[in-house]
Amino acid sequence: MDVLVDGFVQAVRLLLGGDPATWAITALTLRISLTATLIAALVGVPVGAAVALTAFRGRRVVLAAANTGMGMPPVVVGLFVTVLLWRSGPLGAFGLLYTPTAMIIAQAAIATPIVVALVATAVQQVDPDFMVQMQGLGAGRLRALAALLAEARLPLLAAAMAAFGAVVSEVGAAQMVGGNLAGQTRVLTTAAVLATSRGEFALAIAFGLILLVIAFAVNLVLTLAGQHRSVPAR
Amino acid sequence: MTSRIGCQDLRVTVRGRELLHVDRLDVAPGAALAVLGPNGAGKSTLLRALARLGRYGVTGDVLLDGHPADPRELRRAVAAVLQRPILRRGTVRANAAAGLRLRGVGRAESARRSAPWLDALGVGHLGDRDARTLSGGEAQRVALARALAVSPRVLLLDEPFAGLDATTRTDLLADLRAVLDGLDTATVLVTHDRHEARALAAETALLVAGRIRQLGPTAHVLDHPADAACARLVGYSNVLPPAVTGRPGLLAARPETCRVSTDRYLVSGLAVRGTVRRIVPLGGGTRVDVDTPAGTLACLGPGGDGLEPGRAVVVTVAETDVRALETDDLAPATRGDPASVGRSG
Repeated sequence: MDVLVDGFVQAVRLLLGGDPATWAITALTLRISLTATLIAALVGVPVGAAVALTAFRGRRVVLAAANTGMGMPPVVVGLFVTVLLWRSGPLGAFGLLYTPTAMIIAQAAIATPIVVALVATAVQQVDPDFMVQMQGLGAGRLRALAALLAEARLPLLAAAMAAFGAVVSEVGAAQMVGGNLAGQTRVLTTAAVLATSRGEFALAIAFGLILLVIAFAVNLVLTLAGQHRSVPAR
Repeated sequence: MTSRIGCQDLRVTVRGRELLHVDRLDVAPGAALAVLGPNGAGKSTLLRALARLGRYGVTGDVLLDGHPADPRELRRAVAAVLQRPILRRGTVRANAAAGLRLRGVGRAESARRSAPWLDALGVGHLGDRDARTLSGGEAQRVALARALAVSPRVLLLDEPFAGLDATTRTDLLADLRAVLDGLDTATVLVTHDRHEARALAAETALLVAGRIRQLGPTAHVLDHPADAACARLVGYSNVLPPAVTGRPGLLAARPETCRVSTDRYLVSGLAVRGTVRRIVPLGGGTRVDVDTPAGTLACLGPGGDGLEPGRAVVVTVAETDVRALETDDLAPATRGDPASVGRSG
């Protein structure tokens, strides 16, 4: 029990003391996970909306694949991205393995199916005639689609939160494609794993607390943004 | 006659099956046309094809001011109100302004222009309410205000009263009629309810199986159906073949004008013998179903005293209440072509 209490005390001291290495790891974690979430949103929102709104052969297969992707172990994604980026692999010439870019690629691959599946569900929950009604009021197709996405903004934000939560907390892919190189590709999760394995529990708990604070802060911002213009029901 | 909205050789085909084919239709500015049809007749399909909404395979021309119009021109001219009031998240006021906002009008200008329409439709006092908390009738009023706020040159109404209770519907019909009377808008109302057609539209088209079977002044169409399908649609549901009546041609009568008697008492008119099948007491009277060689005839009257299932009776109809029908069930629209709707009140 002492280990835990001491760990917390030291962790708080470490954080308040402004340890530069800790803050550098935190900043890198945010940069990688937010960029990966953004890429997943840019790819996943149009794909999810298209899957929900258009009828094509194999639509259910795409949805099932996206749903499967939601539960895909990050280690598997890490493995495939590693193979792709390996020096002798198809993308080896770019020399991306063990760089933050490789970690962004892996995390985007983890987050995109989550966004696709949740966006498709969110869009399907809006009235099927919503687009027709918006066009019937004078909106062009793009404007009607924008109105539809705005209507589904709460579940869309939930999709973004789920995607961010998945990538900021995963450790397998980050370890495999990033290599946990100090000052280069070390992020909070891989740093916490390393610290724990070395018995530096205070440091590990400090990383854990920062992860929790980040997750809470990002979700708080997105929740406030989502609730901003909606009127409370009476 | 000037035409605001219309179509020419309009066909809608889905997976190789033709759902709708309308040779010609014209509605003048300020006029209202009701398209009356049973479920699955293609009413909503026609409405959406006129606005080029949805993903149907549409061929032929939609005419705006007499000229073929592309979807972009139609988008600017048309406002549509669907059966379910599809409102967005937010206040009633924001919803009323949504049509204008979608057309690129600024926030303040949209609010200013849409507010009077909320008042005109009796929901001005609900401006600050969350649209999700409205009753069905209130929501449909907001949807109508939203459509009218864009000052549409063409207003398309897709059974907007279908989900409302009788009182709400009557009130809304009266309010909408009052609003439309002062406008230059051409209105097309799609409905399966002949009373709505009578309340809103000077002209009515009867749509059966994707074809317009009859078109003309509402009062005439509703009281002089062309064929058996039209007759059933406008309430002349008792269709009598020559074999039963002994007269040439099909005849039809409304249940309200058919009387059940244990003895023939009409001096003139039709009489058909049969046996009582069932007696159903309704709010304002009694419905008696009578099995006859022509099938089951429904009779709506003040009472079914002295009647019981199995009893031999005579169904009688006064001569003035009988309508003669065309026997060809697939007859084309009875009025001359092109079918057009003018502003006649």
